[in-house]
Amino acid sequence: MKAVCWHDKLDVRVERVPDPVILNPRDAIVRVRATAICGSDLHLYGGFVPGMVKGDILGHEFMGEVVEVGSAVKNLQAGDRVVVPFPIACGNCFFCQRELYSLCENSNPNAWMAEKLWGYSPCGIFGYSHLLGGYAGGQAEYARVPFADIGPIKVPDSLSDEQVLFLSDILPTGFMAAENCGIQPGDTVAVWGCGPVGQFAIASAFLLGAERVIAIDRFQERLRLAATALDAEPVDYTEDNVLELLKEMTGGRGPDACIDAVGMEAHAHHSMAFAYDRVKQAMMLETDRPVALREAIQACRSGGTISVAGVYGGMIDKFPAGTLMNRSLTIRTGQTHVQRYMRPLLERIEKGEIDPSFVITHRLALDEAPLAYRMFRDKQDDCIKVVLKP
Amino acid sequence: MASKTNLMRADRVGYVVGGIALIAWALRRPSWVRAGAASVGGWLLYQAYTGRNPMFKPLGIRVNGAPAEVDAAETIVVEEAITISRPRAEVYAFLQRGENLPVLADEAVQITREVENAELAWRATRADRLEHFGSLDLRDAPGGRGTIVSVRLEYVPSGGSLGAAISHLMGRSPQRVLVDKLRRARALLETGELPTTAGQPTGRR
Repeated sequence: MKAVCWHDKLDVRVERVPDPVILNPRDAIVRVRATAICGSDLHLYGGFVPGMVKGDILGHEFMGEVVEVGSAVKNLQAGDRVVVPFPIACGNCFFCQRELYSLCENSNPNAWMAEKLWGYSPCGIFGYSHLLGGYAGGQAEYARVPFADIGPIKVPDSLSDEQVLFLSDILPTGFMAAENCGIQPGDTVAVWGCGPVGQFAIASAFLLGAERVIAIDRFQERLRLAATALDAEPVDYTEDNVLELLKEMTGGRGPDACIDAVGMEAHAHHSMAFAYDRVKQAMMLETDRPVALREAIQACRSGGTISVAGVYGGMIDKFPAGTLMNRSLTIRTGQTHVQRYMRPLLERIEKGEIDPSFVITHRLALDEAPLAYRMFRDKQDDCIKVVLKP
Repeated sequence: MASKTNLMRADRVGYVVGGIALIAWALRRPSWVRAGAASVGGWLLYQAYTGRNPMFKPLGIRVNGAPAEVDAAETIVVEEAITISRPRAEVYAFLQRGENLPVLADEAVQITREVENAELAWRATRADRLEHFGSLDLRDAPGGRGTIVSVRLEYVPSGGSLGAAISHLMGRSPQRVLVDKLRRARALLETGELPTTAGQPTGRR
């Protein structure tokens, strides 16, 4: 089959590789119908995540048709159209039983590597480095799906591939980011980063009852989308002083909740802090650039919540612990427990409360993946979200 | 049992010999390089004198100078615990089966103690020489969270405590072997299979 393989920093290639086979009784093989490039794939593309090996198959957002199931998979059969959640989770362990699927204790065969870095290991993830299991990803014609009796969700024929594809990651991720804010009536939520996850966080914040949502970014096409498709109030951080503007916009108190939908490769405009972090990151003295996270903490109303959906990998510098402590702030975060959100969000899509396909700007063939990665990274041609069709 | 020293007795002899040799070599024709060697020698002598290598604690190397088994003079101690979301009887029945016992390698294993659903102990030998001995005990995790398995292994390292430290740094330590075995047990008991990627496609050539 054809698959998108990581070779090096800024070097992905579409290559012929063997077809996947069933390795465990609870596996299934899915013929991929649609797959997407995630903002977090850009961290791999940019070489910011350790544990990548030449030849690794990328991709953790995919959906398709079941072609084969292992002997222990009773709930799926060949021909079923399914969306596959990005966290690989067993459904049996302490964490899965508490619906904390992204913390599954049994799905990462390389748990010891993650433990060295993070103390304990989270779940395995498709196509997301050997630290998280080294599983072959879904930017391919076929994918092997472990614990297929727990993860994949069947989708009705009435919905298109593009309408359900983002149940695999970014729609639940945006939703969990908003849910973690504990939104109360009258709340204002500020969202740093208006990529696809940011867009879904904005939409979810409104669905969960936010009065106002403020969208912060520097790309006009993203700010425009947030304003027109979702009714958010756009803030361009290259033009305004975000902290002062937010204070003004919220009656001098700050947003009730702040969502960091940016993560480890944040940018800041002409800022000393950005230069400091970029230099330290390049010198490997700091792995992540927490520009957006710092600002979100500083901006948040006292007693409010900072919800972190953006991916971080390692260590950050100059963390405002004093702000956090003295102003009774709460940080909530985590890789998304996708399995927990797929069914309720599928219902919302069916009811027409949200159509996630509005974030798609580009549709390309799987063969064009190298171009798609470059375009997405450099935000060429107003690129917000790329879907690849094998 | 835990003492302040963490060098094995055999190591200390080696440290004295090595330390003296380095200093003697440095004194024959003094130079900056040899002065460095002499200070390393001095550091070895100091460690032999105190019986402690300060690097061992962060590496997790623990020496037992008076092990329970008489045919081992000194051992390195490894302790690990894991919680498995299954009832105690089921976990016991699983671990008791030869291939599931968390032993270090394919040595000849002899069970020395068995308390149903609570304890197992064993000795592992190779060519009649003691390689390691170990024990595990099972107890109910609080709040119906399954079973806590605690394992204590003591092994006789080849290359003394320094050899043990090196194997730790190389990532193939007995500690890793034990953790992997316990994780294997949990995966099999909880999910019925072992997570794997062996046999999946890749673009590596």
